[in-house]
Amino acid sequence: MLLNIVHGTESGGFIVIEDTVKYSGREILKCFINAALKRGEDVHVMGFETSEAELRAGLDSSCVQKIHFHKGHPDPLGWTCKSSFTVQQFTTRDITRLVQNTPYNKASVLIVDSLSFVLRHHQPVVICQRLQELKKVGVVKTIVGLLHSDLHLQGVVESVCHLANAVISVAPANNEHCGVAKTTRRTKSGKLMQEEEYFDMSEDAALSVQTRPHQPGHVQTEPDKPKADPTSNLTFNLRLSKKEKEAKEKVALPFVFSQEKKSALLRPTPGSGRITYEPDANDDFDEEDPDDDLDV
Amino acid sequence: MFPELNSILSSSPDSFRTGDFIVLSDRQADASFLIHHYLSFYLRAGCKVCFLGLVQSFSHYSAVSQRLGVSLTQAREKGQLVFLEGLKDSIGVISQEESSQSKLPLSYLRSPGAGLECLFKFVESSVRQNGENEDGEKWGPPVLLIDDLSVLLSLGVSAGAILDFTLYCQATICSELQGNIVILVRREEEDVDDEGSNLLQKGVIHQCSLALHVEGLPTGYCRDIHGQMEVWWRSREFAMYNQRKMFHYKVHDKGASFFARGTSSAVL
Repeated sequence: MLLNIVHGTESGGFIVIEDTVKYSGREILKCFINAALKRGEDVHVMGFETSEAELRAGLDSSCVQKIHFHKGHPDPLGWTCKSSFTVQQFTTRDITRLVQNTPYNKASVLIVDSLSFVLRHHQPVVICQRLQELKKVGVVKTIVGLLHSDLHLQGVVESVCHLANAVISVAPANNEHCGVAKTTRRTKSGKLMQEEEYFDMSEDAALSVQTRPHQPGHVQTEPDKPKADPTSNLTFNLRLSKKEKEAKEKVALPFVFSQEKKSALLRPTPGSGRITYEPDANDDFDEEDPDDDLDV
Repeated sequence: MFPELNSILSSSPDSFRTGDFIVLSDRQADASFLIHHYLSFYLRAGCKVCFLGLVQSFSHYSAVSQRLGVSLTQAREKGQLVFLEGLKDSIGVISQEESSQSKLPLSYLRSPGAGLECLFKFVESSVRQNGENEDGEKWGPPVLLIDDLSVLLSLGVSAGAILDFTLYCQATICSELQGNIVILVRREEEDVDDEGSNLLQKGVIHQCSLALHVEGLPTGYCRDIHGQMEVWWRSREFAMYNQRKMFHYKVHDKGASFFARGTSSAVL
């Protein structure tokens, strides 16, 4: 499922890449950029947290000219008047204008690095509204945002992910260089699909998915081998006949407290001691068995 | 500087990585000995150093650096070191006796809600100042050292504003000027549940390329081992990308020694 989403087989929408300090999701963001460029789509990158050089590194150099970087970084707040796009301009109107201004625009993909920075400078409610508007207006076919889930309250993260058509949460795989991605996808009919996959990234931003982390580079489905029968080919007999099986099932286990054992214990055996009690005049003798209500 | 730490991080004053953002953090321990290491390291390497000393006086750092073989007074006179003495200058800002330009970097003391733009402008002008050393050569790549960032939270600056400040510093110093940044972020026991403190620490770790975390030993106090330090290589350029290694350390008079767990000289 991860590869399908990255390669755009599932049509557009809003995709969130959720990461934490333990594993960065920026590499998957680069895979999205790479895949979109290979499809010949216009890619608009709103880079607030990383430089253009860092995002361009590893991308296919022949297509790299088709990326439109709207430079938030190195001046996303306008402190040094060096940027062409500040975080305050993250509005539906400004983004639509930016996308429509590019020549021959087609099937645009909007990459936001990162949504965490935008959410730090705007109300989460406002950003959710703007993302929803952008989806509806249709000037951008796909929006892919990177979200650092450990930098926000859980409610904010869930609100943003609720708007998404697909959420990819990345985490480190135990003791491996690859990572594990939990993908949750919501189809148009409302059906929810989830999958967990191990993935690895090559230097040229190509994603490879593995089913098993112990066999890097292979995507295999081993056929189930027929299980060997351990009782065959022996010099002694380990099998039971039908009568023997029945007798085995009838054996009373020594420490299981069954009904027969209980009645055997409670039955007085001949020769055992008896207790006779003669109540005094002052005694309050109750004929009832005090242990009657016990479930023994 | 500590030779053992240099070998763990595979760096020396003659050859070190540039464009690095290093975060030092601690929890119930004191990681400031690492700040002294980096201060003497980069001064020895001939870099232009901008030090925001917000929690101690200049004489404190000077005294410790003297023991490590580096003179801060000389470095400041030569123009290699730009030192912002937070404690001394803050009194002037708060009482507003002097309204000279030099007090602007600490304007967050009077209006913490406005953010750290002025402090960033101070840092930017310090690192962009061109200067020459005695041999007539330019100083090495610029380095920003901050001790410590979490004190700004206590002064009323929001964690978001501090993260914006570190982002701008990284953009200017690491990406553009190919220099390094070393920041100390501390956490007290009472801050464990504090959202601002959590957010700040996680935020800078997201941005950093190397994280050193210092903690006390989980088994309790030990005379010969002062604590444990975890090294987390976070940049993809490292061969040890996303790997963490734990070391034990002991701080003594003229430095600190680092060793693999279980190999303290007291034990072997």
